[in-house]
Amino acid sequence: MAGAQTHRLGNGGLIDRSAPLNFRFDGKAFSGLQGDTLASALIANGVKLVGRSFKYHRPRGILTSGSEEPNALVELRTGARREPNTKATTAELYEGLEAASQNRWPSLRHDVMSVNQLFAPIFVAGFYYKTFMWPAKFWEAIYEPAIRRAAGLGRAAGVADPDHYDKAWAHCDVLIAGSGPAGLAAALAAGRSGARVILCEEDFVPSGRLLSDGGTIDGVPAAEWLPRTLAELAAMPDVRIMTRTTLFGVYDGGTYGAIERVNDHLPSPPEHQVRQRLWRIVAKRCVVAAGAIERPIVFAGNDTPGVMMASAMRTYVARYAATPAKRLALFTNNEDGWRTVETALGAGLQIAAVIDARADVSPAHRSLASKGGFPVLHGAVSGVDGGKDGVRKIAVSLTGGARAEVEADGLAVSGGWNPAVGLTSFHRGRPKWRDDIAAFVPDGAPPGMVAAGAANGDFGLGACLSQGFAAGAAAARDAGHNGTPGAAPVADDEAFSLTPLWHVAGKGKAFVDYQHDVTASDIELAQREGFESVEHLKRYTTLGMATDQGKTSNVAGLAIMAAVSGRSIPETGTTIYRPPYVPVAIGAFAGHHRDETFHATRLTPSHHWAVEQGAIFVDTGLWKRAQWYPRAGEKDWLESVTREVKAVRGGVGFCDVSTLGKIDVHGPDAGAFLDRVYINTFSNLAVGKARYGLMLREDGIVYDDGTTARLAEDHYFLTTTTAKAGLVMQHLEFCRQVLFPELDVQLTSVSDQWAQFSIAGPKTRDLLKEIVDPAEDLSNEGFPFMGAREVTLRGGLKARLFRISFSGEMAFEISVPARYGDALVRNLMLAGAPFGVTPYGTEALGVMRVEKGHIAGPELSGTTTAADLGLGKMMSTKKDYIGRVMAGREALIAPDRQVVVGIKPADKARRLRSGAHIIPKGQTPGPGNDQGYVTSVCFSPTSDRWIGLALVERGRERIGEIVHAHDPLRGEDYDVELCNPVFYDPDGGRQRG
Amino acid sequence: MRIVCPFCGERELGEFTYLGDAKPVRPEAGASEDEVFDYVYLRDNVAGETNEYWYHGGGCRAWLKVTRNTLTHEISSVEPAAGAGAAKVGA
Amino acid sequence: MVEFSWAPRSPLEHALVTGAHGTRGIEAGVSLTEIRNFDLIQVMARRGKGAELAKAAKARFGVTAPDAPKAVQGKDATLIWSGPDQFFVLSAGGKHTLQTLVPALSGPASLSDQSHARVLISISGVKARAMLAKLSSIDLHVGAFLIGAAAATSMDHTSVTLWRGNDRPDGLAVFNLLVFATFAESLWHTLLDSAAEYGVAISHSEELA
Repeated sequence: MAGAQTHRLGNGGLIDRSAPLNFRFDGKAFSGLQGDTLASALIANGVKLVGRSFKYHRPRGILTSGSEEPNALVELRTGARREPNTKATTAELYEGLEAASQNRWPSLRHDVMSVNQLFAPIFVAGFYYKTFMWPAKFWEAIYEPAIRRAAGLGRAAGVADPDHYDKAWAHCDVLIAGSGPAGLAAALAAGRSGARVILCEEDFVPSGRLLSDGGTIDGVPAAEWLPRTLAELAAMPDVRIMTRTTLFGVYDGGTYGAIERVNDHLPSPPEHQVRQRLWRIVAKRCVVAAGAIERPIVFAGNDTPGVMMASAMRTYVARYAATPAKRLALFTNNEDGWRTVETALGAGLQIAAVIDARADVSPAHRSLASKGGFPVLHGAVSGVDGGKDGVRKIAVSLTGGARAEVEADGLAVSGGWNPAVGLTSFHRGRPKWRDDIAAFVPDGAPPGMVAAGAANGDFGLGACLSQGFAAGAAAARDAGHNGTPGAAPVADDEAFSLTPLWHVAGKGKAFVDYQHDVTASDIELAQREGFESVEHLKRYTTLGMATDQGKTSNVAGLAIMAAVSGRSIPETGTTIYRPPYVPVAIGAFAGHHRDETFHATRLTPSHHWAVEQGAIFVDTGLWKRAQWYPRAGEKDWLESVTREVKAVRGGVGFCDVSTLGKIDVHGPDAGAFLDRVYINTFSNLAVGKARYGLMLREDGIVYDDGTTARLAEDHYFLTTTTAKAGLVMQHLEFCRQVLFPELDVQLTSVSDQWAQFSIAGPKTRDLLKEIVDPAEDLSNEGFPFMGAREVTLRGGLKARLFRISFSGEMAFEISVPARYGDALVRNLMLAGAPFGVTPYGTEALGVMRVEKGHIAGPELSGTTTAADLGLGKMMSTKKDYIGRVMAGREALIAPDRQVVVGIKPADKARRLRSGAHIIPKGQTPGPGNDQGYVTSVCFSPTSDRWIGLALVERGRERIGEIVHAHDPLRGEDYDVELCNPVFYDPDGGRQRG
Repeated sequence: MRIVCPFCGERELGEFTYLGDAKPVRPEAGASEDEVFDYVYLRDNVAGETNEYWYHGGGCRAWLKVTRNTLTHEISSVEPAAGAGAAKVGA
Repeated sequence: MVEFSWAPRSPLEHALVTGAHGTRGIEAGVSLTEIRNFDLIQVMARRGKGAELAKAAKARFGVTAPDAPKAVQGKDATLIWSGPDQFFVLSAGGKHTLQTLVPALSGPASLSDQSHARVLISISGVKARAMLAKLSSIDLHVGAFLIGAAAATSMDHTSVTLWRGNDRPDGLAVFNLLVFATFAESLWHTLLDSAAEYGVAISHSEELA
């Protein structure tokens, strides 16, 4: 059994004493209760030291009870699930939880890095900039790794996250952030009005500070009002309360981001469940009832373990029945801090003293003090005596100059409250200053959003309820719901008086930003060095730049800067607020999109057949394409690919080309339309014929190519490259809808309708005769080169045949409705067996196109013109088309442009590689004489050597010239000969035969 | 961001693709190189309301003319391109 | 002479395993059924021919073709809006094929066969909406997406056509999904991943409901 919970009260609290939970912190066994956070369980066990600070490795304790916590950051869980920088204050306790403190070595109590404190003078603001400037190369090699080891946060797991995350959409009329009194009242009003409501609460229990502070609502205690209210909301089918869910971002058009920690409260998610879910919530209206964050006062030793926010202290006592101190002092500058004294006295704790910075204390609190037998000291805390075991003694500077000492083992601090202005300020909103509460409050909000209650600077319970209710009712009405919200819940407002106090002068480090170890003197130094602007202050000192984003520190930092620079706080201003409001795991943003499901994949109709054949696949955009089909005994890809090429050139092979984009172009003006998008003419194409087409961008550069067949007077079947299929469809729709709306033309993507195979090789007809109905004439006369028509296959299936060739061989492309693609490929194998039919992949396809000098993706590079590609003659002079005018610009028709040319190595045995630069022979490579580069290479089985295509200045005029290939990436230099890019069958007899 | 497609209703940004400024009009055939150059390249860098082409490619495939404020991202109008919904021409 | 078989193969043939998937021991929260035998013809009105097409479609199907995001049940066919000036004709296999519709509609419209370009999946169950919320940005709330509502939209960055059919006999909503055939297997796995926590019942059917 783990140690006794020495700091747990005998009764009270929202923890389940019948459900003990075992956990370990830094390897030591403890016990907590169901309903605890890790922080409250540690407190219940008397643990005060929970971490070491970022820069100085100072001992730190728990400061808050919420997501603003800057100190109590731990590594939660172990192994692959280890998560650094997890706030102990929000981590729910579960059986078997394991957590470790961060930023210490070898142990939390004996941290050798705490010697950093001795060197503290050099760790001042801007020290990275000042100290590690020279020599520059030392930065990456020495300084940065050393700094990261010494100063830093927790360690990431370092292995893949075994858990799953997903993303979801939600829609509502009224979105509410926060379930305190304002949020619950808003939900009641909006729900009763008939609106669809989503209420996000980051805690695992709704109700916000009502859980800690109680109060009287509608004449009954909050503890009685809450279950009644939650039951009423639960009974409304369109009101959804999402606990463990933080609204972290506000985006345009009423879109909000929220993170739901679905299973963070369990050791691991149950099977088939996710750890976290990222919500995109679309809301017509949003009520921000996110409350306020109590702020510390900056004084020497204010980071000693045992110094805690006053509100957090009473949360631990009231909600968790855990006592952070047995004898505590309160340092406050406002009325609200006294509630901690009331709570502590109610729980039987001792009060050592109250140090109140205000001139007056209310008579009620005076009599409380005399009844409780503790002094009220007017003044401020100027120092804390204590260490890793916590607070021992508190030094007080009394008003008037005298000093006093208070013995206590805990110090509650209240410097007032800062409304949570993050959400309302995310659209570059600048909050405005309110003197009466000495805090920034929202000044407007993104469209559709309004703040209510404490988030709006109105802290009283009555105000929270009435404002929240009014905001909820208005939001529902604005969203079109006119139901009756009924009566608002009613409560009195507590008294609130505050005397601003930000910084108490004293000896020793006084921390503003606990997480980044920024002290008051760092801010003073920044001001002296000219970094007065808040944005400069932030970056120079790193104030507010830690994972807590300065929730407890920003305003105090501004106030100190204001004081030292002689400006008011509103004049000093705030930095820009940006989402996310709390850290969100990258895994949640990725959701389903990781590993194999990083993106959707597309499969060809022959995919599963190709898998059966043992094909090797390549990712081509979203597609999985068969790259080659290895056979037993083949030692590498080159052997397989060479065999496939030879089989096609010597017999017959086929390749799935279904990945090409396919578009039906319909309508009386289809021909005229194509004339405008292609450089060549299609309106004069005969029905039953196909033609190769090239399209340009409007700037004159080649966009895409492909063959288009005319299947009827008013029906063309257009193909695009695989890579550009979607973009060409978008481009053609732009041409149709925007540029040429007067044309009667309709476009439909039919890419997925057709399974299309290229069948190539001298025995193509022999194979096709086995597949196609004998009545079909496939002879050169009956089906000439570039013919295209529907045919009937044996068995009656209709197919389309296109006599087009990418390989340079006698070839057809055949297409059948996609669900027959699998049958077609199996039938091709059956029918082709006597001819040695060979399936080939994209590698062999690529080899044959290079041998044939056909351009493809590497040449359609977004820099080449039609003329560069040797296709300038296709550019019609008789019509207008996209890109025509710009293609005629001086630079695009300059004689020294880099144009496509063939290359072969001077040394026949040499391997070519694409990317090598072309340099004139005998010259030293450099930018001044770089004449182009190698775009595509392959081993040509037909030529029995490596060949390639290159873009070379005036290349076509230099056929036969020996130039130099310079490949600095691979450290290769060799000579190549420029040659005709058509290596194979230059007169085209084979494909026409 | 959300765009109200005149055909589909309000949809999330991910369904749309941005093209650019909708102000330049493609010159008629026979226009000079300078005119076409202006059409292809010259754009105002507006701080305020702009007209933009957006493509509802993840939806109904309509091209849309969106009036958007570049400072606030507020969208004040969305109109279909002239050729989207052309079946109603003359009706 | 070799005897050829021309058996059609669904793009989901490999991925779809009939039976239970995901969380067991509970009643499946999501039912996924692939409908395999259908004809799907895309009909696109020609310029200025909207009214003429509407008349021809009415004569053919007995209902007014949708000119807004809706699915309309006609004679032996469901007409589903797929964009401005266009709709799908979905029918049981062989009922309304390209060959039979061309004579009736090709004057005012252009037609493309999409029967093989899409996979049809029917989604229902008490958790159907919760599961679809992971994939679809459309508001499918009972009061927002009524029977007959349709959407040309995207799931997992993939274009889909989604519409709400008639409720199941037990009163639960039915969502029909047309997805691109080459994306189907990938999206199917995404559907399964999204639904796994609720328990899934997987089947396929030759019958268009």
